[in-house]
Amino acid sequence: MDFDGLSVDQAPPISAPLRFFLTAPLFGVLAGVLILFSDAQTLSNRHSLDAIAIAHAITIGFLSFVMLGALTQMLPVLAGAKIAKVGMVASVSHLLLLFGTLFMIFGLQNAHSALTLAASLFLGSGFLIMIISMLFGLIRVKNITPSVRAMITSLIFAFMIVLIGVHLLLSYGLEKFSELHVLFSNIHSVWAIFGFAGILIIGVAFHILPMFYVAPRFKKFCKQNVVWIISAGLFLWLIFNLYFEEYSIASKVWVALFFWAFATTVYIKLNARRRPVSDVTVWYWKSSAIFMTLGSFAWVINDLYDAKYIVVVSILIGGGFIFSIMSGMLYKIIPFLVWFHLNSKGYMSIPTMNQMIDKRLSKLQFILFIVSIIGFMISFFIPSLLALFAVIFIISMIILEYNIAVPVLIYIKTIKTKPDFDMSMFTMKVES
Amino acid sequence: MSTIKEYLTASHGQCDELFANMEDAVSKSIESAKEAYEAFAKETERHFQMEERVMFFEFEQKTGMTQGPTAVMRHEHVQMRNLTQEMGKAIDAKDKDKFFGNSETLMILMQQHNMKEEQMLYTMAQQHLSADSDRIVDMMQSMIVQ
Repeated sequence: MDFDGLSVDQAPPISAPLRFFLTAPLFGVLAGVLILFSDAQTLSNRHSLDAIAIAHAITIGFLSFVMLGALTQMLPVLAGAKIAKVGMVASVSHLLLLFGTLFMIFGLQNAHSALTLAASLFLGSGFLIMIISMLFGLIRVKNITPSVRAMITSLIFAFMIVLIGVHLLLSYGLEKFSELHVLFSNIHSVWAIFGFAGILIIGVAFHILPMFYVAPRFKKFCKQNVVWIISAGLFLWLIFNLYFEEYSIASKVWVALFFWAFATTVYIKLNARRRPVSDVTVWYWKSSAIFMTLGSFAWVINDLYDAKYIVVVSILIGGGFIFSIMSGMLYKIIPFLVWFHLNSKGYMSIPTMNQMIDKRLSKLQFILFIVSIIGFMISFFIPSLLALFAVIFIISMIILEYNIAVPVLIYIKTIKTKPDFDMSMFTMKVES
Repeated sequence: MSTIKEYLTASHGQCDELFANMEDAVSKSIESAKEAYEAFAKETERHFQMEERVMFFEFEQKTGMTQGPTAVMRHEHVQMRNLTQEMGKAIDAKDKDKFFGNSETLMILMQQHNMKEEQMLYTMAQQHLSADSDRIVDMMQSMIVQ
């Protein structure tokens, strides 16, 4: 009987997602420190090396690390896809991405060619190992749901932006820039935000919101069509930028319209949820919906004003929308993974999910994060305030790291003790 | 008549509905939430037994796989039964924090369990048991919970 690709009995080792999750807020701290020691004038130019380095401390160091960690966990559950040798793939990729991101940040900031070239090699291989492994797992899935389609589409965008990113980074390392450098960097950033992160978030939301919050389900039309409509919009945006730049605003309206509709739908569905529980994850989803609504409008009208305002748009969408959702996800997924893996190993006397993270600290972290995001936008117009909000952001990232490290420490401490029951004959098969 | 997949997926939906009712009742007043808890616990137990005593049994007989996906699902049923019992104890002790701690854990465990079943196991079962689908659904409908 052929059960290939049906991984109902497969769970990735807990270390696979956790190594990515635990690293992410540390890059958040690093990004905050770099902002603190940069000057607002330099950061207001998105093409400055400082701005690129800081942007990637956040987009790779935090956002991509969380997304990749979550994908290793979600692929078997949401899609029934098995990543071959997931433990090894995750640890090799994590190391390459960790050093690649650090090399990129310090290579660009210090105009160090060798470091920048090494970064392009490390980041390219680190991302591609994970992306290709996941795509191989996903193409074997027989039951293609809207979420599976969204994951595949998102990873294809990820594949393309990594190739473009490697090319861009090589340009900095070699100090040779093609005529299309700015266009490539625009494609890289727009496809990364809307294609990779945006489509992945939408695909996961189809499942997560109705299930974890018992919110009304998304309409069939939305689940079946929104991913290809956004993808078509992103390709149209590329063609317009290449050949008919004056019309590119039309494709921006197309893409932004659907993200705005998604954000509004998320907000409405969360308000109509059946579960009375209101925790930090719900606040993060709601705040992300508000930031995305503002961000999609700001992105469209940005063309009509000074191009420098794209920095504000990036804070709204990258920080307010994507960062918020990723932070919320960490609060949900890590305590569950700890509980699930311990319980599966026969440990019964363990704290519940709600007992693992201090609610007051998670609330404080959320408030500080939102204040810092709003503060960064204010700092664009009042540069003297940047340092204050950078400090607030750093504190929020330190608290986030602490909040997610506590459940992991519970896991490490518990695993050293004897289980209540010997479940070795009955546990889930775990990939190594 | 519904297929095995449709029937059991609809049963998941009923359990979710009763879960939401139970949490709603506890958030309003834990003192009067016992009835909503019993409704959820009873329906969930019925769902587990429909699977364990009918569908899993038939699937294992047909495929010869007793240590495969059904073993993992049975194990997760044990985990969910324990959490459900803990929620019942929390209601008896009028301990809201303990109740929501366990209900949050159960919610995620239950949903990832349901996803694996709906995405994979029910599809596999439908493929292998299609000829007996009506008989199996009928047996599940008429089953008396032990």
